[in-house]
Amino acid sequence: MDQLAHLLNNKKNLELKFAILKLMREWFWTQGFTEIESPTIVELPGQEPYLSPMGVKIHNEEGEEFFGYLHTSPEYTMKKMLAAGFDKIFYLGKCFRDYESFGGTHNPEFTMCEWYRTQVDYFKIMEDTESLINYILDKLKNNFQFPISNFQSNPNDKIIKFNKITMKDLWKKYVSVDLDEYLTKGKMFELCKNFDYDPGESEEYEDLFYRIFLNEIEPKLIKPTIVYNYPAQMAALSKLAKADPRYAERFEIYINGLELANAFSELTDSGEQLKRLQEEKTLKEKLGKDVYDVDLEFIEALKNMPESAGIALGVDRLVMLFGGLQNIDNVITLPMSKLFN
Amino acid sequence: MGDTTDIHKGAIIRHNNDLYVVTFAQFVNPGKGSAFVKTKLKSISSAKGTEITYKSGETVDVVRVDYVTMQYLYKNANNYSFMNQESFETIDVSADLLGDDVKYLKEGLEVMMATHEGMVVAMQLPKKIKYTVKDAPPAVRGDSASGNVTKEAIMDNGLSVAVPIFIKEGEDLLVNTETGEYGGRVTE
Repeated sequence: MDQLAHLLNNKKNLELKFAILKLMREWFWTQGFTEIESPTIVELPGQEPYLSPMGVKIHNEEGEEFFGYLHTSPEYTMKKMLAAGFDKIFYLGKCFRDYESFGGTHNPEFTMCEWYRTQVDYFKIMEDTESLINYILDKLKNNFQFPISNFQSNPNDKIIKFNKITMKDLWKKYVSVDLDEYLTKGKMFELCKNFDYDPGESEEYEDLFYRIFLNEIEPKLIKPTIVYNYPAQMAALSKLAKADPRYAERFEIYINGLELANAFSELTDSGEQLKRLQEEKTLKEKLGKDVYDVDLEFIEALKNMPESAGIALGVDRLVMLFGGLQNIDNVITLPMSKLFN
Repeated sequence: MGDTTDIHKGAIIRHNNDLYVVTFAQFVNPGKGSAFVKTKLKSISSAKGTEITYKSGETVDVVRVDYVTMQYLYKNANNYSFMNQESFETIDVSADLLGDDVKYLKEGLEVMMATHEGMVVAMQLPKKIKYTVKDAPPAVRGDSASGNVTKEAIMDNGLSVAVPIFIKEGEDLLVNTETGEYGGRVTE
């Protein structure tokens, strides 16, 4: 009777989640956004080498078989819509990622909120995120009791304040390293060795980067923090920074040591995008992952896509923060750990 | 030797020439590089804690342990006494080694003890343990209206658990030892 016990134990947490879902929609509507639908089953999902889409088989009435995947994010669909003239759109729904843990900070099926605006860059999206989270806080406080200190803000604060810092400054602050000097795989490998890690020769730049980042930096990102400008090779779908093209206009939000959201000024150069996705496809092959073609309709769409910026925010994790909860299972109606026990 | 898939709560790892028991393990996939496993470890010799994040698939020196079924007898000063169910010897295990899990112990409970070179290094509790409710305040009118769906109840060993308001004194129920949560009524 695991499922019934789970629902009884987490009724309050689920009520909090459903209230937050309602408030999120409210905030988007007051800001003039339109909620869109995205297919969750697609033929060609994203090429992110470290995400594993779940395969599905579909049959038409004649029994003809089609092979597709559950989307890992609605990004391609939403960018195709931007190219067709939609603006200020949001998706609030399920995404799926295979080979992730059942509980903790992941559940293979999870709730994502993704939104895009045209004619803006990622700074506008930072503003949106701060405004959205504070809107929820403000509206919730009458019906739910939770301390603002769950967000590691000062208990006397009226709003949740975000500290904004570039990735380069973060490395300087926490590991006393000038990141400019460590933008190649070789240099980052040496740095890992200096930090007493034992990386394999074949490790990619991202792996080496995250060894240091996850061990030495992320646990210190307790107060709400917006980390921006990532090394260019770590942002396949984003624009390069105007001031320094060694970095990309990407940001992530960390609160209480947990990654909450990932955003970009979107890359609109279709040729460059095709090149980057083909490189990712090659890497996927090398890593022994499922390989499928680059979605050429997505590449074609970029030719007509206006300047835009967008973000993907993990809704379950946001609810964990409001509820002061450590395990994502506590905010999911029936998590994998209870469905497949 | 093993890799990160062998890391789980209660596993024993050799690190810097010391043995550590894994007290917490969490999978993290940043999505932009390989996945990682975050761990909290406790030194078996000094009980000192440390945190390590391993890259998924990385080699980890997981120490092979033997499991012996032991039955909990009683608390004995700062130790807990168990009976080895194979040799019928009584052994004392220190409170430091058992950590927070001692709250689940009750007389007669069978647990799996991980041993290394004859020494107990970690205790593995059953996933769910059956208790009898010793004390549960009756539901108060208005509880459900105010959103209270659980109440604190005390089990026969003194453990306090948040249970649904319909649970009454004297009932048998299961407690999930991984989360400390109510795990359902006992269905015979």
